[in-house]
Amino acid sequence: MLHTTDTAAGPAATERLPEAPARHLTDPTTRAVVRLQNGVLTAARDFLRAHGFTEMLLPMIGPVTDPGVRGSKQVDIDYYGHRYKLMTSAILYKQASLLAFDKIFSIAPCVRLEPLETANTSRHLAEFHQIDVEVAGASREEITRLGEDLVRHIVREVTEHQAEEFEALGRDTGAFTELLGQSFGHRTHAEAVAELRDMGHDQSADAEIDWQGEAMLSAKSGRPFFVTDYPKGSRGFYDRESRDEPGTLRNFDIIAPEGYGELCSGSEREFEYARIVARMRETGENPAKYGWYLQMVREGIPDSAGFGIGLERFTRYLAGLDSVWQASAYPKVPGVIAP
Amino acid sequence: MNGRPTEGSPGESPDVPGLRTEASGPRTDAPGLRADADRRRADAPGLRADADRRRADAPGLRADADRRRADAPGLRADADRRRADAPGLRADADRRRADAPGLRADVDRRRADDPGLRADAFPADSVRDRARRGTAALFPPVEAYGRTLFGAARTSAHTAPDADLLDALRLVPPVFMPRRLEKLIDLAREPMHHDVDLTTVVGALHSPLPAYLSAFGSTQVASADLGTAASRQAGRLGLPMVIGENVVPVNGYGRIGTAPSGEAERSLLGRIRAYLDELPDGAGGVAVQQSTEDADAEVWNLVYSDPSARPLLESGRLAFELKVGQGAKPGLGGMTVLDRAAAARVAEQYAVDDVLGGEERVLRCSSPGTFTEEILRQQIRLMRNNFPRARVWVKLHPGRDVREAAAVAWSAGADAVTVDGAEGGTGWAPLGFLDTVGLPLGECLRRIGRPAAGLLVSGRMWEGTRAAKALALGATAVGLGRAALLAVEEDPERGLVRLVEALALELRLLISALGKYEASALAYEDVWAAGTGLPHPDPSLAAPLGTQP
Repeated sequence: MLHTTDTAAGPAATERLPEAPARHLTDPTTRAVVRLQNGVLTAARDFLRAHGFTEMLLPMIGPVTDPGVRGSKQVDIDYYGHRYKLMTSAILYKQASLLAFDKIFSIAPCVRLEPLETANTSRHLAEFHQIDVEVAGASREEITRLGEDLVRHIVREVTEHQAEEFEALGRDTGAFTELLGQSFGHRTHAEAVAELRDMGHDQSADAEIDWQGEAMLSAKSGRPFFVTDYPKGSRGFYDRESRDEPGTLRNFDIIAPEGYGELCSGSEREFEYARIVARMRETGENPAKYGWYLQMVREGIPDSAGFGIGLERFTRYLAGLDSVWQASAYPKVPGVIAP
Repeated sequence: MNGRPTEGSPGESPDVPGLRTEASGPRTDAPGLRADADRRRADAPGLRADADRRRADAPGLRADADRRRADAPGLRADADRRRADAPGLRADADRRRADAPGLRADVDRRRADDPGLRADAFPADSVRDRARRGTAALFPPVEAYGRTLFGAARTSAHTAPDADLLDALRLVPPVFMPRRLEKLIDLAREPMHHDVDLTTVVGALHSPLPAYLSAFGSTQVASADLGTAASRQAGRLGLPMVIGENVVPVNGYGRIGTAPSGEAERSLLGRIRAYLDELPDGAGGVAVQQSTEDADAEVWNLVYSDPSARPLLESGRLAFELKVGQGAKPGLGGMTVLDRAAAARVAEQYAVDDVLGGEERVLRCSSPGTFTEEILRQQIRLMRNNFPRARVWVKLHPGRDVREAAAVAWSAGADAVTVDGAEGGTGWAPLGFLDTVGLPLGECLRRIGRPAAGLLVSGRMWEGTRAAKALALGATAVGLGRAALLAVEEDPERGLVRLVEALALELRLLISALGKYEASALAYEDVWAAGTGLPHPDPSLAAPLGTQP
């Protein structure tokens, strides 16, 4: 039996690793988690379809992928002699798909060879799935509202219909009372930095909130909250830079409470050609490899906003699991050899 | 490879024949000199003044060079080259004085059969001498001790108007030494040069002396096994080491699949493993370079997530160096000569120019990458964000705005800025760039003034005096590039170790002579040259040193 979480204490730090597939798959906890995850996917699809979204099946391989992924390595594959990548996220195709539909979503795997130090953060997998959403013409206010509504809908659906799984996992659904009853909190990155420094944590003002800092903020909160306005230099080129406050991005994360940390990242997107090229350089990218994307951007793509919810992380939070790998039937912990 | 003529290989020089004859003049004379010296030594057991005579030859050579420069601008590069070679000639003379004909024959043979690595405009023979003899090469031959008059002033070649500032400077010990008194009080005895503490933080990595192993340029030079041998020796010394951006494209990562060169130990991870095998605890570290086009290969991401780099990461000894430019060809990207088959394989990634003549070889050119203040600032922030446990270094070419670029890098949080003087770089570059493009290192240091964080410099570094002058002008440490390659080639087991031991002893002697006992204590007041504005009238000023041309 896997260790589940005492909601008062928050998730335990564990270095326990997955067992062999036969044992992991037949573990009652794994079965309960997978059934719960099914409920999440069903609820997400129902909600998004009801709101006019089209589900896209996006590529898994391409000449280029999302570079804005903290410290991780992309996987190269040999595509008829050309170096292709496995998708680290579908961001480039999400933007492209808005040429066909104004509201799209996709549920797809992402592969990121994360730094080894992430093996014991309890919340990194080298292979995971993302519920990706993109809306043409949306502002950050609109997209964060959508994200909040989607998360709340999913939690309401699974708590209403999957009491058996919560029971099996020993997860008290009272943990979601605040989430279901109140709107999410908001703080800017600068406010989060100040708060962490007040707590004695040395958080850089120019960088992403580090994992430890994020866990500290998360542990203090009883419901999910947004962190907005990350500094440029902490995210990929596609997160839109504020026109009013240069150096600040029009983006956000949703942080889960109880120490579970980030569930979701999103932003208004850059869509103007010259800005994208400049931002590519600022993020150390070589524009030459983005040929198809830049050609498309040059011809015009809609402005948009969107987000991606990490499915295993969301499942972990719902199920109250110690580690995110417990939310995967075939987990790949960074650096750990697994089938 | 390199097209410029070297003193030792007149036959390969593409230059005009007249020049070649002149350049080889001193060498032709040498046996005569030697014979003369030997005869006199045999005849006269007393004090002799042969050193003076030989020294007197040297200014003659230089004067000759200067004269020719004045007469014919076309001859200029040659004169400069010989001037740069002058220390080599002198060391050569010393070696001859040491009565080591075997050594000399060896050197000559190497030149005749296999020129080995060539390092034009660089005192290669002196470097090789140190690689063989270590600290002994710092001194006149012991056989001459008590029998030879030393000390007659040599007119410096360095006073020529366009000489490198670093060459022109002299190190100038004071008479009164309050810091020596401090050390005396500290030690309760008179301090000696052994008491100089050379340990230095080099871009957040710890080094036993203010030096590090530079990246070797984008030529085939560093692809040879020398790179691995250099890694091993640098590891043994605890010397921080930079691994060039060219290693992955040429030799591969060293993980799955065969490296383009076919040899795993030459690969990036092979180099790191060779270094780690020898590395003592608490010292050294590895800085892995990446330039714009290597971003495709994600070299940093690979290293950051690779198990074999883990010991470095966990002990805070991994750095990433953003390569903005290089000394050999400021404003251009990397260039590599490839055979046609290899070029076809990389044609999708790199521009390939058919400009080298003949059927076999073509030129692969990398783009240098576009930088503005904002691009540099954000790239550094992204490095810190994405690789929070790695140190951040930024390598600049010797551009006219090097001061501003260094300031942006430091303010964005770089642990160190590396400046490659125009005389630096082991790379293959158009001759015009090698000769005339970019600021020399001394001028870079003058413009940068007092650094806000680590300032690592390279450019013809191999011995203590040039290193000490660079430190006095604000550098934190000096990079051994060409010198390290030559030393390793001279002796793959101990060459670099001996070269560095000699450098350390020389630095200790110089720093203690200046009445100081830490490498970081060297400052403007320790150097002087007529007309350079040094020492600075107010050393506390952070403004650029002296007047800018």
